[in-house]
Amino acid sequence: MSGRVLVVDDEVEMQRALRAGLGYHDFDVRAVGSGEEAVTEAAAWRPDVILLDLGLPGMDGFATLKALRPATRAAVIIVSVMPDEKDKVRALDAGADDYLVKPFGTEELVARIRAVLRRQADVTAGEPVIRSGDLAIDIGRRSVTVNGKSVRLTPTEYELLRFLALHAGKPVTHTTLLRQVWGDYAIGDTYNTRYVVAQIRKKLGDDPANPRYIVNEPGVGYRLEG
Amino acid sequence: MRRLAPYAIAIGGVIGITAVIWLVNLRAPVSGMSAMYLLLVLWLGARWGRWPAVVGSVAAFVLYDFFFVPPVGTLSVNGPAEVLELVVLLAVALVTSQLAGSLRRARASAEALTRESRALYEVATQALRSQEVTVAMAMLCERGTELRSVGRFALVAVDSGLPSALAGGDLSAAELKQAAWSHENGRPIRISVRAGAVTLVRTNPGAAEPAYLPLASGVAVLQVDAELAGPDELRMLAALIGLADLLFDRRRAALESERARGLESSDRLKTAILSSLSHELKSPIASLRAGLTALASPQAGLQADQRELLVDLDRQATRLDRMVGDLLALSRLEAGLELDKEAQNFADLVAGATRQLRGELAGNRLVVELPDDLPPVEVDEVQAGRVLANLLENAHEWAPLNGVIEVGAVPRSGMLEAWVENEGPPIATADLDRIFDTFWTRRARGSGLGLAICKRVVEAHGGRISAENRRRGPRFTFTFPLAPVPAVPGS
Repeated sequence: MSGRVLVVDDEVEMQRALRAGLGYHDFDVRAVGSGEEAVTEAAAWRPDVILLDLGLPGMDGFATLKALRPATRAAVIIVSVMPDEKDKVRALDAGADDYLVKPFGTEELVARIRAVLRRQADVTAGEPVIRSGDLAIDIGRRSVTVNGKSVRLTPTEYELLRFLALHAGKPVTHTTLLRQVWGDYAIGDTYNTRYVVAQIRKKLGDDPANPRYIVNEPGVGYRLEG
Repeated sequence: MRRLAPYAIAIGGVIGITAVIWLVNLRAPVSGMSAMYLLLVLWLGARWGRWPAVVGSVAAFVLYDFFFVPPVGTLSVNGPAEVLELVVLLAVALVTSQLAGSLRRARASAEALTRESRALYEVATQALRSQEVTVAMAMLCERGTELRSVGRFALVAVDSGLPSALAGGDLSAAELKQAAWSHENGRPIRISVRAGAVTLVRTNPGAAEPAYLPLASGVAVLQVDAELAGPDELRMLAALIGLADLLFDRRRAALESERARGLESSDRLKTAILSSLSHELKSPIASLRAGLTALASPQAGLQADQRELLVDLDRQATRLDRMVGDLLALSRLEAGLELDKEAQNFADLVAGATRQLRGELAGNRLVVELPDDLPPVEVDEVQAGRVLANLLENAHEWAPLNGVIEVGAVPRSGMLEAWVENEGPPIATADLDRIFDTFWTRRARGSGLGLAICKRVVEAHGGRISAENRRRGPRFTFTFPLAPVPAVPGS
């Protein structure tokens, strides 16, 4: 068994397809059709990952996400047919771990689920060195190396990279980065993050038009490749 | 009768003073008694004006000469001293009457001005205090017709060429037409206002045709009797017209904010419709793809040819999804929803688009040529990313396997000029413009929406997009505005 996945989607066809697809990849799957059931099931069954559709009837996805957070420590992946970036940002800021736009293929979904599970395991293990390809960030020593070679970052640059590293693989919104690195007063000035990320990429020797480490999440923020 | 009263008083006064002097002289002659005449003439001039004072001074001279100047009992002027006396009397009469007259006139006009400004103040405060502009206008028109010379004071609004009477009574169809013409051409008829002064222009004396005066967003229609219109009335009229102009401005502002509210709510409605539409169209495709890809995984236990069929079907479902996505994106653009513009690095946009298409672009060699110091652009990140993704996808469709796709950008006259070029076959010259039309496509399988979306997005940002054939192959060039301030925050 590679993990328990709770599917929250009001379309029966979708529930059935995901149950089959994830089942073939050795996940233990249960599916519910409403936010209320999701909260109950999350507390009773203790899933590792919850796939939450935003467009639920009755208690909507955002309300469900809010209700889920005290009830479970499961990773929440938002799925939605709405390609609106504002919804993604809102969901991430409300505590979602990742999002996936519908329609998606099973392989893509499985990859995302594995990524959040791996991340959860890392967090639990308290791994002090976070790696992304040949980039290594040693949180304990405050050191950053690429291919073993040390990279000198300013405090702001290090703080931003550290925050992305602590959430490696997860999209981090501009708002969250601004709040974490600069404080509440800087919120709204997203060119701050863009500028600092460009500086970090330069120092890491990364190609801005095809970055290996910090990737853009258009309309949302950044993600450090896990 | 009343007009003669001052003269009677003048003569009576002179006779009275003469009698007093005569009586005094009976007892004991007092020199300098003639100064009493001077007092009388002063009073006459100040109180009754020039002519009674002149009459008084002549009468005083005659009587004094007759009764007191020797030889008494005759009217004879002896010597320059007496002539001087007459001249002094007359001069005093003229000067005092002149002074008093101008004082009187100044006081009268000050009073008139006070009356006028009080009236205007009342109208203005009433007009500006009332919530409804039309009520304020009606009040203004009423005040206008209270002027003696004004027979009619009406206000006509002209909204997108259509006249409608707002206040001051109805107008005939011909009058409305005339008003609309006057407004459209900005030409007043039978009236002119220059530097706050109203001048009536009578082309046909006696005819009762109204005058038309175009204002901010309407016309004042006036019927003014030129005979009765004194300078005071014309001044008041000009002030009322100025106020009407202000009210028209206020009405326009109110209409505009109302329209903006309407637009906003229609924007919300459009967004809601598009959201529900994308939900309805995409949900079935989502179930399809989830099911097809589940069955296509090796663990499902199907045979190789069956799995191949499922992969083909999933590819079709993906195509359908992309077309629905394009259609929705296009409707969103057509609906004119607002762009979420921010300063963006062009390299980030390229990175986002190439990442999105990494599967497709694996079979090409992507060359990105961007100067290090490229200034940021002011764009909607998602929409601008869509332009790049669509152009890269188009390049991928036409580029030969392992062919080069080049992306580049340079700043040029306040804009960022960017291009995507591939090594595919040239585009027919006749098609270079049509290529951006909705539903126009060179491919049998294309939706014909990708480039149309690019054009909409680029133009919504105030940029331009065009296609040309270069030596290597077709190149698509587009522009985006540069971010206004080179934002370089201290880190």
